[in-house]
Amino acid sequence: MAGSGRDERAWVRRAQAGSASDFEALFRAHWAPAYRAAYLVVRDAAAAEDIAQEGFLAAIRALDRFDRRRPFGPWLHRIVVNRAIDWARARSLRPEAEAVDVSAPERTEPDDELLAELGRLSPEHRAVIVLRYLLEYTPGEIAELLELPRGTVNSRLRRGLDTLKERL
Amino acid sequence: MRFRAPGEQEAQERAWAVVRRAYAEREPVAWPRRHARPLAAAALVAAVAAAALSPPGRSVVHSLREAVGVQEAEPALFSLPTRGDLLVTSRKGLWLVHRDGSKRLLGHYGDATFSPHGLFIAATRANQLVALDPKGNVRWTLARPAPRDPVWTGTRTDTRITYVSGGRLRMVAGDGTGDHVIARRTLPPSDVASIRHRAGQSAVLAAGRVVFRGTGRFDQVVRSPDGRWLLVTWPTADQWVFVRPGTPRRIVGASRISVQFGGFPHVQGWCCAG
Repeated sequence: MAGSGRDERAWVRRAQAGSASDFEALFRAHWAPAYRAAYLVVRDAAAAEDIAQEGFLAAIRALDRFDRRRPFGPWLHRIVVNRAIDWARARSLRPEAEAVDVSAPERTEPDDELLAELGRLSPEHRAVIVLRYLLEYTPGEIAELLELPRGTVNSRLRRGLDTLKERL
Repeated sequence: MRFRAPGEQEAQERAWAVVRRAYAEREPVAWPRRHARPLAAAALVAAVAAAALSPPGRSVVHSLREAVGVQEAEPALFSLPTRGDLLVTSRKGLWLVHRDGSKRLLGHYGDATFSPHGLFIAATRANQLVALDPKGNVRWTLARPAPRDPVWTGTRTDTRITYVSGGRLRMVAGDGTGDHVIARRTLPPSDVASIRHRAGQSAVLAAGRVVFRGTGRFDQVVRSPDGRWLLVTWPTADQWVFVRPGTPRRIVGASRISVQFGGFPHVQGWCCAG
């Protein structure tokens, strides 16, 4: 779980000063939401791991410039979700349907229907739904994270949810 | 929404191992940013001085100053200048290098190639052709004597890997099936840009003109997936140099490559992912 705002600011401050344990606290607090968000957008565990990992590597590179007055989570999630959308778009343009994957199909969980349908939405619709309902950002915050007009966020949320409702 | 992604804990530990190392290698800035520029300049001077004093650096530093420009030489490989992942081999094995400079050791393999869209890799080891995913997980293997020079080509729906084994050119489908001999000779080397060695100097020629030159030997020149950059590998200087021909020409160097890969690496491919 993410720490309180005060904890987090302290972790960031001490991580900037070189404290590995505080950086680890920051990582542990934010890994799961970042990985889950990436997974729900790209629907590929290996890609999600890379994307979340790259988000943290980008965070390390920018750590010294990070404004400690701002929360760390949204900043990280912006990087991760934007990368996930890029990856999903690229994948949809270049599907490697030759399926080198000759391993057994993955087991389907009984309650996976919703997630499967979520995976059929466009990356843009998937991303706003993940940010809203998994990471619990407000539409205004999502608009800021993805640098979109708030109306666009609202319409993507509405269309995405309508599509899910129809399919389920 | 209560949801856990597959392999969450294992993924976290793998990622933490990488992220922790990156954090450990970072040098914290504990002073106001307004001081950063002069100090960075001082660090560059120190780095250049150190390079000049090192045995490989001494022989090429003059040429490097001319060719790369001190301001553009990075003390290590921090990132690639354009989209795509690099596949390289060194004494330690096969590495996948991402655009942000992070890299993953995939295992002990010889030659390697990306699939056409960069989502898989075919690599060789003693008596096997192996298909891997970018995590290094083996998807399939094919036992053949001393395979080498794999090339993975194809379309969205049909890909093939050609490779050489037993002095014959062979082909196998992207899913590892249907392996057969297609010729008794090997493919000619490809293309694009070339290296000329003359009087202790090397030069890279593209479209018939010299786009980069330096002291010592260049080993390889590899074109980026978008076709705009050339990666020149320069073992004499322990450098990778990224050259963007055209106007304006851009040249970005990365130093101390051997340390980062456990020996100077050989580039196997630069592909489209990322």
